[in-house]
Amino acid sequence: MKASVSMAGELPQSLHAKRVQGSRPGLLLVLAISLIAALLLSVQFGAVPVKLQDWLTLFNFSDEPMTGSSYVLWNIRLPRALFAVLVGAALGMSGALTQGLFRNPLADPNLLGVTAGAAAAAGLSIVVLSGLPLPIPMSWRMWILPVTAFSGALLVCFALDRVARWISPGSIVGLLLTGIALNALAAAVLGLCTYLATDEQLRNLSFWTLGSLAGASWLAAGLLLTLLLPAWWWVRRMISAMNALALGEAAAAHVGIDVRRLRSQVIVLVAVLTGFAVAWCGMISFISLVAPHLVRTMGGPDQRQVIPRSMLMGGLLLLVADTVARCIAIPAEVPVGIFTALLGSPFFLILLRNARGRLA
Amino acid sequence: MLMKTTTQQSLLQLDAVCARLGKKDFGPFNLTIAKAEKVAILGPSGAGKSTLLKLLSRELKTSRGNVAFQSRALASWSLMELSRLRAVLPQNSDVAFGLETDLVISLGRVSRAHDPELSNIVRQAAGMAHAAHLLGRRFDSLSGGEQARVQLARIFAQLWDQRDGLILVDEPLAALDPGLQFDLLASLEEYATERQHAIVAILHDINHAMQAFERLLLVKNGQLVADIASNREAVPALEDLYDIALTCIHNEEGDLLVTPLRASSRARKSA
Repeated sequence: MKASVSMAGELPQSLHAKRVQGSRPGLLLVLAISLIAALLLSVQFGAVPVKLQDWLTLFNFSDEPMTGSSYVLWNIRLPRALFAVLVGAALGMSGALTQGLFRNPLADPNLLGVTAGAAAAAGLSIVVLSGLPLPIPMSWRMWILPVTAFSGALLVCFALDRVARWISPGSIVGLLLTGIALNALAAAVLGLCTYLATDEQLRNLSFWTLGSLAGASWLAAGLLLTLLLPAWWWVRRMISAMNALALGEAAAAHVGIDVRRLRSQVIVLVAVLTGFAVAWCGMISFISLVAPHLVRTMGGPDQRQVIPRSMLMGGLLLLVADTVARCIAIPAEVPVGIFTALLGSPFFLILLRNARGRLA
Repeated sequence: MLMKTTTQQSLLQLDAVCARLGKKDFGPFNLTIAKAEKVAILGPSGAGKSTLLKLLSRELKTSRGNVAFQSRALASWSLMELSRLRAVLPQNSDVAFGLETDLVISLGRVSRAHDPELSNIVRQAAGMAHAAHLLGRRFDSLSGGEQARVQLARIFAQLWDQRDGLILVDEPLAALDPGLQFDLLASLEEYATERQHAIVAILHDINHAMQAFERLLLVKNGQLVADIASNREAVPALEDLYDIALTCIHNEEGDLLVTPLRASSRARKSA
């Protein structure tokens, strides 16, 4: 018995080793290279042409003022492109985590109402908080939106977790329908905010419903990076457990995973990532759905690879979308959220069609 | 004598354990599983076999009574500790996203932070579960029987380098053809015997239970109706359990085989 077992095992071992060493790190590298290439390329596009000398002004330490085009490059386009990549990475990661948590490739923070919940909370804080006669220091204001958006996202996540379980545990249909209800609720809250808002608040509010990266700056990019790095460090520690979740919650518990703790950790992470992305750029849809799906199709469903690849893919997708959005109607700029929704909705329909066997 | 006491040591103990699912009451169950013991749970559909197994695995909360694993309250074990000593194979287990079979099997050992022998154990476990040829394939591309073998390999991998553990399986052979049923039953037996693991298995086939298991737990209407050795004396209890008549046959090796007959012939017999 023993001998036949080890003999039978020899062929698969060589295949296994080849596959692990060959294709797996490859896709991550390809994505990283494409991302850098796209980053360098995207800053070339725009109203002001950027020349090669403009890149070199970084090494020019004299007191000469920057030329117009090098100013555009270093202070507008590069931070914007980096910001797009980081927001995309945050969205890609939150999408991959949500799909892993709910064990389904159709689960997405956007479709499930997490994004809308964050936007509704942010909207409330714009209309209600700024209406109150509270002496809020300027330096706090920057943090109020992310924190309220995070609380909104967290609230929706926990509601999803509870309500979907209560309606029909483990079914994607119950989950998506719960998402529809939560989306409608968030839309109602946002509508109420719009109704109550002053003209100036209304301008701010419409920003959330459209989604735009116009608020990009080195500071915003730096803040997002300091958020993403610990988030990634945290995810790395539970990434194998995320794979075990694919076995189902009972089986995951039997192989030693504390499913409850894992779930709440993932929920908090998704809420942080979605909340901050929404607070700084509004509602940008479908990146979180499309990025993990693409990398899963290209390189397999192992979460240990899907999550980092989704981050790169999300960054790449949002960078491309944002570059198109800001160049397609120069000098005007189309909000990128409109763009991703236009491309993402048909994609979702295709996904639904492919999943139709499993939905019933 | 000393050997005897160590082998008879209790591994899992149920003390007046009750559970309630909806409006249905289960129990009270009183039973002890000894180390390295092989126990089959038999009973008609809906009798509470899976419920009993879930009580043993802590998947279901007890409404009354105590479950002890290795003389310590089962509820006080951490999931991580338990996963090193106890593997559970649920009845129908799908795997999301179509993970590869290698990965599915290795997930049995996911709670080990450092596991240098992992790929070796995955291969050997797959071989033992007759799933070596399925390595490298997507789980969702496999047939029901193939999926069952991969899941069994995952259980094998989980307790591969442990001793004195416990394996709880819910109908591991349901989706398999007769030849594979015998092969896998033999593998399960060999695997558990080598490592002194106890097995508690829900089975549908009386003959499998009689041949590979030394003790039968008969469950009906949410109660444990009999706890008997699996030999010829168990036949009347089995007839009562399923409300059928059983004809006993001995093959050349002296194994006892039973064949069910219609209940009407049994009525005639008792009349």
